[in-house]
Amino acid sequence: MRRVSLPPRPDWQDQVERLGFAFHTIDGETYWDESAAYAFTLEQIERDIEAPTDAIEQLCFAFIEKAIGDDEILSRLAIPDGQWDFIRSSWQNGERNLYGRLDLAYDGRGPAKLLEYNADTPTGLFESSVVQWDWLEQAMARGALPPGCDQFNSLHERLIGAFAHLRSPSPYRLHLTCVQNSNEDKGTVDYLMDCAVQAGLDARFTFIEEIGLLSDGRFCDGANQPIETLFKLYPWEWLFRESYAKNLATSRCQFIEPPWKAILSNKGLLACLWEMEAGHPNLLPAFFEGDPRCAGLSPRHVRKPLYSREGANVTLIERGKVLDSDDGPYGAEGFILQDAAQNLFGSPGNYAVLGSWLVASQACGLCIREDASPITKNTSRFVPHYIEA
Amino acid sequence: MKRSTQIGLAAAGVVLVATIWASSGSDDEESLVYNNLAECRAGGQLSSSQCEQRFNEASASHLRDAKKFTSTSACEAEYGSGSCQSAVWNGAQVIVPALAGFMLARSLTQGGGAAQPLLPPTRQACPPGSPAQECQQARSSSSSSGSGGYGGSSRSSSSSSSRAYSTTSGAALVARSGTVSGTSSATTVSRGGFGSTSRSYSSSSSS
Repeated sequence: MRRVSLPPRPDWQDQVERLGFAFHTIDGETYWDESAAYAFTLEQIERDIEAPTDAIEQLCFAFIEKAIGDDEILSRLAIPDGQWDFIRSSWQNGERNLYGRLDLAYDGRGPAKLLEYNADTPTGLFESSVVQWDWLEQAMARGALPPGCDQFNSLHERLIGAFAHLRSPSPYRLHLTCVQNSNEDKGTVDYLMDCAVQAGLDARFTFIEEIGLLSDGRFCDGANQPIETLFKLYPWEWLFRESYAKNLATSRCQFIEPPWKAILSNKGLLACLWEMEAGHPNLLPAFFEGDPRCAGLSPRHVRKPLYSREGANVTLIERGKVLDSDDGPYGAEGFILQDAAQNLFGSPGNYAVLGSWLVASQACGLCIREDASPITKNTSRFVPHYIEA
Repeated sequence: MKRSTQIGLAAAGVVLVATIWASSGSDDEESLVYNNLAECRAGGQLSSSQCEQRFNEASASHLRDAKKFTSTSACEAEYGSGSCQSAVWNGAQVIVPALAGFMLARSLTQGGGAAQPLLPPTRQACPPGSPAQECQQARSSSSSSGSGGYGGSSRSSSSSSSRAYSTTSGAALVARSGTVSGTSSATTVSRGGFGSTSRSYSSSSSS
């Protein structure tokens, strides 16, 4: 694994905008950053990222099996008890999932370590699937990289394939939803809708604020069309606490991601996995705050709220002193403490976190985000990667 | 290879992939409809050279099979205004309904089977001023709309797209992006029960 400086394409804005990528610059700061790229060997990708990602997913499935039968675990994950049966039946019915992203610490040496699992509402998808793919094609075409390079990225074709099989019979009608006033979220949903259409689905968009409830208990879109299958880029922990929460289980709607993802998209997962498989090479020691075993953590550790997005309310602590933190609104449901990763790829002024993508629970892509601080935030930059020829 | 072999992007303005059910009996036959060569290439279902071959087939049979007229007005009387073009057929100047798209059965996309040319809908199927979405799509432009993008540009919330065509044998045909199931007889009892949490957070709902 190397960080390579490369000259950006002179017209890179035009090139990425031609793909429909409109949030390459966020609040005046570069988000899509092609002044550098990360180079991997094929062995690093397959042995250190792809295989551990699949292994962690299997571990997560084993944990769900355990959690759905254990009220104490569901309580510790701060999942409202009124939703437990809804979650259980989604797992027992085998409801399929679309995608997720494991965030990993990795520096090219030794096993990658799981920082967290964005199992429910991951973004960064379009730039991973399409923009960095096109960047590599162009980099090879103009001779900036040698021919024969590759990329860990079959996201696009996997997404199309997965959409076709999320529900049967297929094709089916799919609604997609996200909040108003978020370009990034809307961009992600627009891309997924494009994939769904290419999978042959009847795909329709509605903002989450437009969703209504029909007299027969089903949800409907802004045009009063009943919703049978709903992709929601909106976290389960919020849906569980809003006024339609009581209508979820009786809505006869298939949700994507399925409700059982609520068990995984929770930082409590990190403590639970460590409890199940202490010493696993791809896990960092982690405990719920208040657990006496926290005393055994390394002096340099991280405090994370159970629910948090984009680094909000995460604190890096060394010997009781706060080294880095990000403000935010999260934390009411509790915290976990996790050893700080020793193998975060660092270069002067840059920390890199790997995002390892799963589609239909199969590892199939990689993205890298850099930040000037060890906590990856919503100000981080997306840097493309390639596999060396 | 660890990466996708091809990527087609409909909303980036180059493609509309539709799943169609012909109205003439073959209800289960799943087909692909493209309005032009660029859409086919961008769609990703076929390779670029396959698209070109299919498009050439459709263009050739278009001229052969389309009904020939001696005047634009006669052609437009049947296919609607702006729907016709002049062509040379067997050395004679003729007027034919324009090529509006081409259709291939999905099962044939990997192998043989000639593409079928599609014409604008007839006046009978889409009378002037028809409010039907498939007619408006067919009349508004000869190529698909592509104003989308992935940056949160606003798109219609009723995004299922359909468009009317006719075949060279005169059958009406509507292509749409997927299945359509019946509308509900249930009434909406409330709205807005989701989304309140996001309003109390400044940060994104995704990660």
